[in-house]
Amino acid sequence: MDSKTLSELHDIFQDVQDKQDWKAALDTLFGSLRGDFVFDNVVIYLVDPKTKGLDVAYARAVGRGKTAEADVAWGEVFANDVIAKEKMLLKDPVPGAEEADRLNQAYLLGFPLQIGAKLQGAIVFVRFGGPDYSEKHIQLASLQAFWTMALIERRALQEARAELDSVQRQMRLQDDFVSTISHELRTPLGFIKGYSTSLLRQDTSWDEPTQREFLTIIDEEADRLTKLIEDMLESARLQSKTLQFKFTPIRLDALVRDIAQRVTTHHPDLQVAFDVHELRPIRGDGLRLSQVFENLFSNAIKYAPGSKLTISMQGVGDKIKVSFADKGEGIRDDYLPFLFERFYRVPGDRTVTGTGLGLYICKQIIMAHHGKIWVESVLDEGTTFYIELPSDLTL
Amino acid sequence: MAKRVLIVDDEPRYLRLLEANLRTEGYEVTTAQDGVQALEVFSAQPIDLVLLDVMMPRLDGFGVCQRLREFSNVPIVILTARGEEQDRVRGLDLGADDYLVKPFSATELLARVRAVLRRAQPPADTGQARFFTHNDLKIDFARAEVWVGEEAVSLSATEYRLLLQFAHNIGKILTSEDLLTSVWGAEYKNDKEILWVSIARLRQKLEEDAHNPHHIVTRSGLGYLMPPIEA
Repeated sequence: MDSKTLSELHDIFQDVQDKQDWKAALDTLFGSLRGDFVFDNVVIYLVDPKTKGLDVAYARAVGRGKTAEADVAWGEVFANDVIAKEKMLLKDPVPGAEEADRLNQAYLLGFPLQIGAKLQGAIVFVRFGGPDYSEKHIQLASLQAFWTMALIERRALQEARAELDSVQRQMRLQDDFVSTISHELRTPLGFIKGYSTSLLRQDTSWDEPTQREFLTIIDEEADRLTKLIEDMLESARLQSKTLQFKFTPIRLDALVRDIAQRVTTHHPDLQVAFDVHELRPIRGDGLRLSQVFENLFSNAIKYAPGSKLTISMQGVGDKIKVSFADKGEGIRDDYLPFLFERFYRVPGDRTVTGTGLGLYICKQIIMAHHGKIWVESVLDEGTTFYIELPSDLTL
Repeated sequence: MAKRVLIVDDEPRYLRLLEANLRTEGYEVTTAQDGVQALEVFSAQPIDLVLLDVMMPRLDGFGVCQRLREFSNVPIVILTARGEEQDRVRGLDLGADDYLVKPFSATELLARVRAVLRRAQPPADTGQARFFTHNDLKIDFARAEVWVGEEAVSLSATEYRLLLQFAHNIGKILTSEDLLTSVWGAEYKNDKEILWVSIARLRQKLEEDAHNPHHIVTRSGLGYLMPPIEA
């Protein structure tokens, strides 16, 4: 091999290897050698591991007959032949066919593609109307066939690696999830077990107020466990996107006013002020959106007790912006980024019960509506949750 | 005099649970809601036992355990919601005397507290000689002090009791069950993990080379012994 050829080959090799995508690499490969080996079309057929039929994995029409239908029509029978015989085949056009129509004068050259120990397909070159393939051309085509096998193998490796990465990531998430869950479930369970076994002690007797106190705690913790399990199922469904949303036209202000009314019957001291401007209807799932606002109300009652709530809603462009503000003690800056994370609870006073799932669920629901939810808070001044939802301009 | 127990937990409902049960048994109770507060309370009054939760804000239970062990041999029981082996071993490694995995029953809690306090009591005077020596190791039974060469060694109550088992049975192989029953109590008979960690800690403190021990020797498959001193 003279040094010019060697250097050319080296450059081609480099160019092909540099292409991350296997199809781009094949384009480069066939393009680079076309000067020395002229053909009209090349098609790579791979055996589908499930159906055992042939799939066109790659096809390039570079010369005559640049139609996809032509590719498949002329190649498939021949490719099956190559695979069945497991060797390189040459096929000249049937003599006597219409000489005038060069597209019917296919000169075919095919190689089996053996990857690993398995025969996985065939590569077929075609020249319409000849000429015959020379010895040198066959060698060049054979080189390209080998190269193609290497590239297909590389693709399989890349896919396998990506799949492995994704499985490992899933497993890590699953591990974290299981360990968080077991901790979250153990807390209420610990109280139920502890207080019930206290009441069951035979070596001591508790006075009536203490018995009531313990039983109340057991009752509340059983409720918390139930809520935790419901929230967990809900958040799992939201995360796996198996929760069905029913979108209908909704007037958000009416929906939130309804909830406010319900909440204030249970908490008569709660003051809620509304400020609503230029509101268009939205398309949303009323049940799920109610869940979001119920959650915000319940958080405000728990974490900003006694504070007045101000809810404002305004149409801004094609969006609706909602703010939900309390005048509670606020949340520290360093806790804010984690507020919408699954199982996150602001450290501190644990007399307030919660699952750490409420805001996570809110965020998933708002995201399913193509909206955004975020929070701003100033210590000793209060916390404001913002929700942005697209309004439905067709309504 | 009533024993005073310090309970450290950030969940008020655990504090209430522990306090209510301990009071029925005549213990005095002091509480702290986080690790930093626990250390403050501890230095302000005499405490006979610490019940310590692991997951707490500011300073966690492991941190508190480590700090307490720098200056005190007070019996410590770790309360952990995570029953995983590595957590239990970590607590024992840091010098805790025992652990209790949440959820636990009230009677289990009280039994553990009794057992740990029993271990912490100085053993009854057996009318033996005041001092015991084993090469460079010296025990002053009257003052419950241990020396290696010229240096005083600080042992937890459990570690001291464990050492006494060997000193009183010199040359005799003691099985894990023997040691667990006599030091910790019959209910710990199968808790080999707690014994392994305690032996390892004892060796760290007493042996020149903990991997090549001379005071407490392992007899594979049989148990442990303090070998007789060669004449």
